[in-house]
Amino acid sequence: MIINMKYKLSFPEADRLIEKYYDGLTTGAEERQLKKFLLQADLPEQYRPEQAIFGYFAHQQVKPAFRIPTYLRWAGVAAVIALILLGPQLYVSGNHSDYAYIDGKKVSNMQEVKSHALASLGDISRSRDEVKESFKSINDNELIEQQLDIFSAVEK
Amino acid sequence: MLALIVGLGSILPTLQAQNDLQISKAFDQYGERKGVVMVELTDEMLNGYDFSLFKSLTIKDNPSAADFIRKCLVRDEVGAKKVKQVVTNGVPTSIYLQLPRKGKFYRLILYNEIFTPEHKITLIYIESKDDSEDVLKLILKKK
Repeated sequence: MIINMKYKLSFPEADRLIEKYYDGLTTGAEERQLKKFLLQADLPEQYRPEQAIFGYFAHQQVKPAFRIPTYLRWAGVAAVIALILLGPQLYVSGNHSDYAYIDGKKVSNMQEVKSHALASLGDISRSRDEVKESFKSINDNELIEQQLDIFSAVEK
Repeated sequence: MLALIVGLGSILPTLQAQNDLQISKAFDQYGERKGVVMVELTDEMLNGYDFSLFKSLTIKDNPSAADFIRKCLVRDEVGAKKVKQVVTNGVPTSIYLQLPRKGKFYRLILYNEIFTPEHKITLIYIESKDDSEDVLKLILKKK
């Protein structure tokens, strides 16, 4: 417990104030001064009654209020800010799930997952060739028709 | 407080980039079904591709899924640049969309449907810091 020495009285001064207190002549400031004095630990036995009056013993029984040191408070604030800023990012990275579902079954094997990914990309790139091929076959048909036209012209 | 707002503003788009699209419903609806392969990769180098997010859906023999995805794509086309569309018998079978950038990410949707040798739909969603045109060129160059 921290004792503020500012309010410490000498014993004669304290005795004088106690007398004044019992006579009902103390001012508010003097009573506060006296109280500060009586709430000190290790006072001589003679002050026990006055200590009781001023609640020293009750004060002792009261558990000291739990106080969070200032540096911890700031650390807490910093932690909350960090959580807000990084939380979603952590959520995203925590959900960096590379996976595949094959016929409803989850697969996490990266090689297998990647091979399926590449296969689907392959489907897209092949589709480009199929379009080209279809154009090519159209051109071939036209060519065949042109050739047949030549023969039909000969027949006439 | 300003730092918080700026921080959250830069992070949250990565969480939501794909959720604003209709095709996310296709991934949700069909991703875990039989006859379907769904892939999700994040921040992955994939044979030279640098993707921040890669999602693909390959569905076999499911014409109704194709109908659903095409409907989703019609909605996602709004505001997007249609790089390519191939229509076969009146039905779009190949669609490449360049979506508006979301934050620092370029976004692409690639859709392809083939009927032979079997009916197969491939839907790909890509987010990348690389220009989507470069990504597309790279994909189409590789086989």
